[in-house]
Amino acid sequence: MKLLIVDDSSMMRMTIEEHLQDYDLEIVGTAGNGKEALQMVIDLKPDVVTLDITMPEMDGLECLDEIMKINPDLKVMVITALSDKLTGLKALKKGAREYLYKPVTHEELKEGFDLLLDRK
Amino acid sequence: MSTQEQQFEKTANAFIESLERYFNKLTKSPVETYAPFVKSPTDLILKECTGMIGIAGIKKGFIYISGDLAMFEEVIKTYVGYQHPQKNDMLDMAGELSNVVAGNVREVYGDDFLISVPVVFEGKPSNLHFPDDIPIYVVPMKWKTFEAYMVIGIQ
Repeated sequence: MKLLIVDDSSMMRMTIEEHLQDYDLEIVGTAGNGKEALQMVIDLKPDVVTLDITMPEMDGLECLDEIMKINPDLKVMVITALSDKLTGLKALKKGAREYLYKPVTHEELKEGFDLLLDRK
Repeated sequence: MSTQEQQFEKTANAFIESLERYFNKLTKSPVETYAPFVKSPTDLILKECTGMIGIAGIKKGFIYISGDLAMFEEVIKTYVGYQHPQKNDMLDMAGELSNVVAGNVREVYGDDFLISVPVVFEGKPSNLHFPDDIPIYVVPMKWKTFEAYMVIGIQ
């Protein structure tokens, strides 16, 4: 399966990449903002996306709206520092399958991927 | 205690708890924070590297976390597991840390507590100006052997 990692922090993108050895996931791209992510969804056709919310150019929720129009079957896991319950619910309503709140531990990332990829 | 002081205490506690959660959860080494003190906007403490977030909505102002590059290097080594970070990576981590600390305060104030994307910089840029119409408090902190500051300027 093809994975797109979207986060404006290169260190967060690296942290997420660290967890992929146990999964049949190939990183096809990384994006630092929602606009870039949207174009990569069109060009690279990923199956799975991890998506930050607070990003420049286009935030993650707006990006999520747009990518769901392109591929409603895309498996999206939102990973965000915005830890109010309403934001998580908004993400789910917009089509995200899972959400995680930062600060996110390595165990929580693994749990998130397990749920997203139906490995539980 | 006046209403303004009570309000500030609630806000400061929210940021301090958020900061503590970050370090406790991700590094397993606790951060110590010390009594906040007031600073004027022309005399703010800035260390080698700073991540700053603008705040709008229900609260207005800013928050920044400023520390030496070595502290952010150690956070990367401890949490990300990347043993050879470069300066750009450390600046990125300063931004991400400030983003998470500010974003988690939404748990207290809800989704009308709006945060900007992080701005990161080294030292004290000459064009850096802080508003002079909001109270600014410095929260000294220490993580492992590293001293740093969280500065909260909020109406």
